[in-house]
Amino acid sequence: MSPTLAARAAILTKLDAGSSASGGATPSEPLPRDYIRHGSLDADARAAKMIERLREYDAEVAECAPENLAFEIAAQLSRSGRKTLVAPDGVPREWLAAGFDWKIDGGLDTEEIEHCDGVLTACFCGVADSGTIVLHHSAAEGRRVISLLPDWHLCILRASQIVETLPEYFDCCTEIPALVTWISGPSATADIEMTRIKGVHGPRFLNVIVVKEQGIGTRE
Amino acid sequence: MHANTGFRPEAWSQARRFVKLYRDAEAVVIPSSSCVAMIRDQYPGLFEELGNEQLRREFRELVPRVYELSEFLIDQLQVEDVGSYFPHRVTYHASCHGLRGLNLGDRPFKLLSNVRGMELVPLPHLERCCGFGGTFSVKNGDVSSAMLAVKLEDVMSTGAEFCTALDNSCLMHLGGAMHRQFAGMKTIHMAQILASTGQSPAEVLG
Amino acid sequence: MSHAPQPILPPQQAKSWLARGPVLDPALAPPFPQAALPMLRDPQLRKNVAHATDVIQAKRARLVAEKPDWQALRASASRIRDEALEHLAAYLEQFEEQCAERGGVVHWAADAAEARAIILGILREENASEVIKIKTMTSAEIQLNPYLQAAGVKVFETDLAEIILQLGELEPSHIVVPALHVNRSQVREIFASSMGLRDLSDDPQALTAAARHYLRRKFLDIPTAISGANFLIAETGAVAVVESEGNGRMCLTLPRTLITLAGIEKVLPRYSDLEVMLQLLARSATGERMNPYTSLWTGVTPGDGPQRFHIVLLDNGRSAIRARARERQTLRCIRCGACMNACPVYRQTGGHAYGSVYPGPIGAILTPQLTGMQHAQSLPFASSLCGVCYEVCPVKINIPEILIDLRAQVTDQERGKTARFFDPMYLGLRAANVLFSRAWLFHAAQWMGRLGMGVFTRKDGWIHSLPSIGAKWTQTRDLRGLPQQTFHSWWKQRKQESR
Repeated sequence: MSPTLAARAAILTKLDAGSSASGGATPSEPLPRDYIRHGSLDADARAAKMIERLREYDAEVAECAPENLAFEIAAQLSRSGRKTLVAPDGVPREWLAAGFDWKIDGGLDTEEIEHCDGVLTACFCGVADSGTIVLHHSAAEGRRVISLLPDWHLCILRASQIVETLPEYFDCCTEIPALVTWISGPSATADIEMTRIKGVHGPRFLNVIVVKEQGIGTRE
Repeated sequence: MHANTGFRPEAWSQARRFVKLYRDAEAVVIPSSSCVAMIRDQYPGLFEELGNEQLRREFRELVPRVYELSEFLIDQLQVEDVGSYFPHRVTYHASCHGLRGLNLGDRPFKLLSNVRGMELVPLPHLERCCGFGGTFSVKNGDVSSAMLAVKLEDVMSTGAEFCTALDNSCLMHLGGAMHRQFAGMKTIHMAQILASTGQSPAEVLG
Repeated sequence: MSHAPQPILPPQQAKSWLARGPVLDPALAPPFPQAALPMLRDPQLRKNVAHATDVIQAKRARLVAEKPDWQALRASASRIRDEALEHLAAYLEQFEEQCAERGGVVHWAADAAEARAIILGILREENASEVIKIKTMTSAEIQLNPYLQAAGVKVFETDLAEIILQLGELEPSHIVVPALHVNRSQVREIFASSMGLRDLSDDPQALTAAARHYLRRKFLDIPTAISGANFLIAETGAVAVVESEGNGRMCLTLPRTLITLAGIEKVLPRYSDLEVMLQLLARSATGERMNPYTSLWTGVTPGDGPQRFHIVLLDNGRSAIRARARERQTLRCIRCGACMNACPVYRQTGGHAYGSVYPGPIGAILTPQLTGMQHAQSLPFASSLCGVCYEVCPVKINIPEILIDLRAQVTDQERGKTARFFDPMYLGLRAANVLFSRAWLFHAAQWMGRLGMGVFTRKDGWIHSLPSIGAKWTQTRDLRGLPQQTFHSWWKQRKQESR
């Protein structure tokens, strides 16, 4: 038996032997779930809360109507001063504003991505309670590396994709994804004298465009 | 004390004695929240370990009649004013066992608010442990002293003449340091304040 | 000429044996009272610890107050963890099956030595001479870094605090904010000398930028990473890592090979259990509604992230803890650090006094148990039993209850030894118990006590100094001498007078 298989057997045996010791509650009683599962805000209030939380994390948030999305993206990009941008190959083509150097990720080299100034992605959903953007890394959200290396991340979040509570997000996951990244603001540290410093690794700048009115999001 | 510091078999005999002595009492009122917490939280486990069914039963019947002083006055006698008179500036320290073990809540404050002549000054960081901790005060005497120093800073900052509490352990610890340092404050148990009247004012030792 | 970083301890103590720095190996660390003393005498340390814990506690308190279902979340989290621990074998097997199906390689390690060997084995297979690492307490528990360094593998820590500690050759003192005992000028010294940045300022922004720059190429170039895990999801074989800085995402995404080390108790039954745990963790650990980045991955995803994934499941004493009814709840711990942030003992001593990578209240119960109660026997006594740790623990571990139980275990161990006859505490407590057993003994003891104590009692009725263990009381406190009249005799007298 290989060492690790021997260890496996030993550990599982010990665990089975120790099962007679029951801690506090008996497992046969149903697990209490008295915490808040569903939110109480309407769509507008939800979106407003999401935006408020995002801004608390110093993310820049703009709102626009669906028909103005491409325009808003172009405006954000211009204001940012970024030139070379990476985008997943599943984003709508209208999002790729003209006048910028777009690298579409179909398996780009890490070094190429490292030289991009910014990244544009969709997302799976937003959780208003904590201002969290959830990425399931689908075709329109892209591989994990592209929303990690560039310093500036522009994320498109449709209002219809916003849920209020974290349990509501889990309710949306009819299929559990293999890869998930939850983003709640740009990276930060408080390791030096508890002074919060933004931007250690990962994008130091997070911009979100919240698209209001019903639209086709990546989350159905 | 024994149970809390690891001497469980010794604690059994004390627990047994407690039940034997008091099982016929109408009420057992204890002016010490740590003792009551021991009886409520730890005795059940001790009796389980002892394995004596009769004692366990007697204990279970007795324990609802065991009260901490402020609980007895407020919950059982429904009394918040016992006619006390204590014309001094006082601050109240919430002992950990009373605060977290017994959830005394605002009972002490209700009683203190009715003491005539007394000025009650709030204590900063009320919930912070004074550092007594039973045998901890000597087994970890240095850390206990450090915690005491920090607590004393808060207590002295109130400018009170007296610091009171529902536990003599905390008072011994705080009062012992006040006496050592010739600080302008003394400790006094809340029972003494409540018993103090114009005719027979509280006698404060030391 | 290089400028050595300032030692944390004051210069005059550098000559003592403590100059080697704190020992975080429970088998070697001095007992808590001894280890705590130099910490208590270090005003900078006490100030830093108080400041750090105050900041996190204030943030936590605000967020807890805004959450009306906080207690309901705690109740569910505690039961979820109990459920996982109850059926741990089954959930681990489910995790293994699911993870392996997605291309993960699952290893099992009974103890620290096995885990280290497995990890080194994988590194050798990969011909890896360097690794980047995300902070993991579990790797510190098994003393992985020195082992790998000795085997010729360069380990690069990537958490800011861990870099500070690694480059400064310091030891962590907190499980979430490990460098909280270090202030900015100390960090500046460390970075300036090890990164060759003579003009570096001590502004935290500049220091952070220096760290970012220092690590960037390492992230991009080093093909092997080691991580820990916050949660293992049995349902899907996924692993979740919770972080703030982004170094986690770097290590989990860029390299070719990822090795994850996880204690077997990290399992959650279902993906959706995260809806409870994630709401509690960040609020408890850093006082945020959600930490900046949480990453979850399942085995290997072609084209995205490491194409080789190994996970090492570690026992190292956990199965033994699980087998004990009262102590099993120790394993619910999600390593949030809320207990040590709230602990009034930790506030004065910092983490190094605990002689373990797990300090504070959780360390006081976990460390001795992980050693099978063979070491760290002073830790269960390093508490005043104030109970605030239990109050803040997101998974409701009744730490005071376990502390008391462990004290009984340690005391029982000592009963068999002759040394107990020389321990004044032991003798005193045994004697007291005898005296409490009979009323006449008790009264006799009070009478004798008054005589005996009288020797030490001054005219004002107070005792200023006591011998032996009593000296630890009188070092800072007077003790009121026994009153002239006992309550019993006063009560009897009063009843007689009222007739």
